Amino acid sequence: MGGTISTISDEYREVLSSLARFRRALRRSDQLTFDKIWTDVSKHLAAAGYAANATPLETFLLCIALEQQNEIDHLQVQLEAINGPSSPLEEK
Amino acid sequence: MTSVVGWLLDLYADEREGVVLWWIAKDGQRLRLHQSFEVKFSASGSPDRLRAAWRWLKNQPIPVQLGRDQGRDLFIHDPVTLLTIQSSSPTDHHRLFSLFSKEFPDLDYYDADVELSIRHAAKYGTFPLACCSVDYNPDNMEIRNIEPLDSAWSLDPSPPPLRVMTLEPDLDPLHEIPENVVVSIEKKQYLFPLSAKRPLMINLQAVLRRYDPDILLTNWGDTWLLPLLLKISRETHLPLSLNRDTWRGILHKKDKSYFSYGQIVYKGEQLHLFGRCHLDMSNSFLLRDCGLDGVLETARVTTLPLQMTARTSPGTGISSMQTLVAIRNSILVPWHKQQAERLKTALDLLHDDQGGMIYQPITGVHTHVGEIDFVSMYPSIMVRCNISPETPAPTFLGSDYPPGLIPLTLKPLLEKRVEMKRALGKMAHWDPRYDRYSAASSAYKALLVTCFGYLGYRNARFGRIESHEAVTKWGREALLMAKETAEDMGYEVLHMYVDGLWIKKEGVSQPDQFAPLLDEISSRTGLPISLDGVYNWVAFLPSKRDPRIPVPNRYFGCFQDGSIKIRGVEARRRDTAPFIKETQLELLDLLSGCTSPEQIQQLLPNAENLVEKKALQLRKRQVPLDQLVVRQRISRDLSGYKSPPPAARALKQLNSVGKTKKPGQSIKFLFVNSKDGVFAWDLPYKASPEMISVIVYEKLLRRAANSILSPFIKNTLPLFDSPISRK
Repeated sequence: MGGTISTISDEYREVLSSLARFRRALRRSDQLTFDKIWTDVSKHLAAAGYAANATPLETFLLCIALEQQNEIDHLQVQLEAINGPSSPLEEK
Repeated sequence: MTSVVGWLLDLYADEREGVVLWWIAKDGQRLRLHQSFEVKFSASGSPDRLRAAWRWLKNQPIPVQLGRDQGRDLFIHDPVTLLTIQSSSPTDHHRLFSLFSKEFPDLDYYDADVELSIRHAAKYGTFPLACCSVDYNPDNMEIRNIEPLDSAWSLDPSPPPLRVMTLEPDLDPLHEIPENVVVSIEKKQYLFPLSAKRPLMINLQAVLRRYDPDILLTNWGDTWLLPLLLKISRETHLPLSLNRDTWRGILHKKDKSYFSYGQIVYKGEQLHLFGRCHLDMSNSFLLRDCGLDGVLETARVTTLPLQMTARTSPGTGISSMQTLVAIRNSILVPWHKQQAERLKTALDLLHDDQGGMIYQPITGVHTHVGEIDFVSMYPSIMVRCNISPETPAPTFLGSDYPPGLIPLTLKPLLEKRVEMKRALGKMAHWDPRYDRYSAASSAYKALLVTCFGYLGYRNARFGRIESHEAVTKWGREALLMAKETAEDMGYEVLHMYVDGLWIKKEGVSQPDQFAPLLDEISSRTGLPISLDGVYNWVAFLPSKRDPRIPVPNRYFGCFQDGSIKIRGVEARRRDTAPFIKETQLELLDLLSGCTSPEQIQQLLPNAENLVEKKALQLRKRQVPLDQLVVRQRISRDLSGYKSPPPAARALKQLNSVGKTKKPGQSIKFLFVNSKDGVFAWDLPYKASPEMISVIVYEKLLRRAANSILSPFIKNTLPLFDSPISRK
């Protein structure tokens, strides 16, 4: 394209590098978790690019929430497979 | 007056005769006719400057007819007032325009640098190899009338009886010193030693006279063979009639390196003939990729001469087509475009300045996957949404306005290609039309794709960035509409890539089961979409760096008909050694017989054996050296590298023996055990198998094998240890 606007992959790398100091100060175990959630963001870069949000960090945070919800849903299914469906009372 | 029906072979300007046209008559004659041809261009500017220009033109010696007119510039709302200047011949026009534009650089010029063949096409409806009826005066061979009997858009035009002679050295002159010239024509082959110069000239002249070829197809003809033959001809004072037009010399065009689509491209020196066409297979992407049929079919639609068509980019081809449509529709063709990007908000820019939509696939192996593609998506959008510099931006996948210049140019080409593709789908491979249709379809694809690229190219005459952005915008919308449709109909979307989707649904595995989805997408988007095929299995590969990250364009799969599709792996790369490429393809061939990942699991030991056998060949140094040659392109001069990559180190070796390469050219080399780590393939002395770096090649081999086999391996450990880690 015209090349005026950074691609979403460039934005992703830029946001990550802006968080480098934050990552550095985390414990090693938290750094691994940090890396994992940002890997999850990369799975949704096409959607984030299409959204064309002026502040891409917001979209990236949504991507993280999305993947976490997917993970929760996945675990929920596994849990139900082991324990049976949870009752509405338990859900509360 | 005499009439003849024949095919137009060549057309060029002549100082005395206006335009010379060579015809292949139906009775087999080759006719050199000529025609007077006036050339008109125009200038616009302030009234003062136009008056000064008028006075200057009146007082200069080249005869001209001046006039005043109004014209339509696509980028200017109101009609433009013009000073029109008509010369009596193309050569007068060139001389005059060169002087005039230097004298009045501040004027805007129109129709000034239009190729002669396009002007002729606009006036007479001609194009290369057009079948025409020609009336001429047999006394002076002057043309009185030309009537085309053929259309550039016809699928099966009557084929001209072309005589094609192939002329090539027996060895690659960049690698070894050739000993003979091989001449092939009409299933006969002649071998003339290069060392015997006089017999070589006499024999070549004799075959040229005897067969009088229309097309001289050469290998290294532009850069090595023809310059050498012409040199020998001068030295021996023996004639060599490469030209059919004996009055003319040979046109030399210098070599050049230029930047295109993110890389440096090298275009070698060119030798153009008159009355006969010289096409060099080593200096023509089109000829190499689409063959002679591709060149002939492209020349027919672009109206550029054959020798030019073979050597120019698709961008020049599509520009020529736009120029022809512009002239036919009384639209001025600007010499230098003055258009700047219009002002827009940052938010607009953020939304518009995007490319095609590229998804991250769900990595791993998937079965019964359908791949569906929009047919020529971007050209179809340009035509359907009427995207052109002068038309309003579309607000939906369609348009309510009369067609603009770009859709007018693209529509017949798009329709011809779709028609050919449709015919190819039903045609047997032995059908005499099959090769021509395939070649034309590939060549037209390049023209259509480039048309989109040229819309965003600031130097393109009819380019406009907003139009370019509109194409990708509606491309993204169409792709998302297709995704939504597929999901509405119960499909899982595994991947999307600009104009294609990979989808699967429980119980859907046969091609006809995808038809309702295709119909629904076509109906919602208004764009044609087709099923590329159904994969028995397809593997989307993750990043080599991080296996959790999906990569959009690294996948391979096996269609139900047994054919394999691969993207982004070593076998697709130009810089992969043939031995590595071959191994990867053999592995894929082994897997292509499997209809499920379970079957592949059973074959894994065989695959592993194959790789070990190949590794053993490497260690025993049994692999022929030419199978290990790596080819990489250099992007700059040697002095421009701080830490030279292998190709640059090989170039340094070539330089030391007096061989040079320019940016954009490829360097061939072997990986060897030496300080440089490489051995330039085109050095005058030979490499030996003992020199080869087995470690490097074995690493490349195992990496390539891993790309194919890793998706089928359950544990995360690499299948093979690299020899380096084993050490």
